[in-house]
Amino acid sequence: MLFFSYFKELVGKEVTVELKNDLAIRGTLHSVDQYLNIKLENTRVVDQDKYPHMLSVRNCFIRGSVVRYVQLPPDGVDIDILHDATRREARGA
Amino acid sequence: MSGAGLEDVFLSTSLASYLDKKLLVLLRDGRKLLGILRSFDQFANAVLEGACERVIVGDLYCDILLGLYVIRGENVVLIGELDLEKEELPARMISVSAAEIKRAQKAERDATDLKGSMRKRMEFLDLD
Repeated sequence: MLFFSYFKELVGKEVTVELKNDLAIRGTLHSVDQYLNIKLENTRVVDQDKYPHMLSVRNCFIRGSVVRYVQLPPDGVDIDILHDATRREARGA
Repeated sequence: MSGAGLEDVFLSTSLASYLDKKLLVLLRDGRKLLGILRSFDQFANAVLEGACERVIVGDLYCDILLGLYVIRGENVVLIGELDLEKEELPARMISVSAAEIKRAQKAERDATDLKGSMRKRMEFLDLD
């Protein structure tokens, strides 16, 4: 559940989601659920010319299982807090 | 779900806020389906009414009508809400008939196959 909680902290931030089919989408993180499904708002596709069918998609739901990377804003992670939480989770607390 | 207010529906990650809207569904095999979302579940299984497949080859495209479709969730990559104000496709793209798009698809496939076979024959050169 650590990454679920972590992504919930990032709601409202601008992220780029790269999918396993190489499609990369940038948008504002609207919400995330326990499967790490992601909803983005104000989306734009990074390589617009290659994916013309995505032109009028403004909001989207991405299935967690197809995500390869989520690129975060530089200030999107407090390493110390994440580090502590990781150890706490590993201990099973 | 009975306890969820309208705001919760729009704040959550569920597909509830997309119900009865025209959506674009990308599938894992690269297909693009358009239709109105009538039902879904936690696996992203989805029912699309008036579904059609949008086939795009270069600057040509065709919408092939399919009807009522149930999509198994594991095949779903992305579900996008279409902005009705915006053009669905760039202006340069031309709508063609199903027969024409099938021909274009075949030509594209043949071209890729040819490229593949050429590459295979040249493999001994150890390119790339």
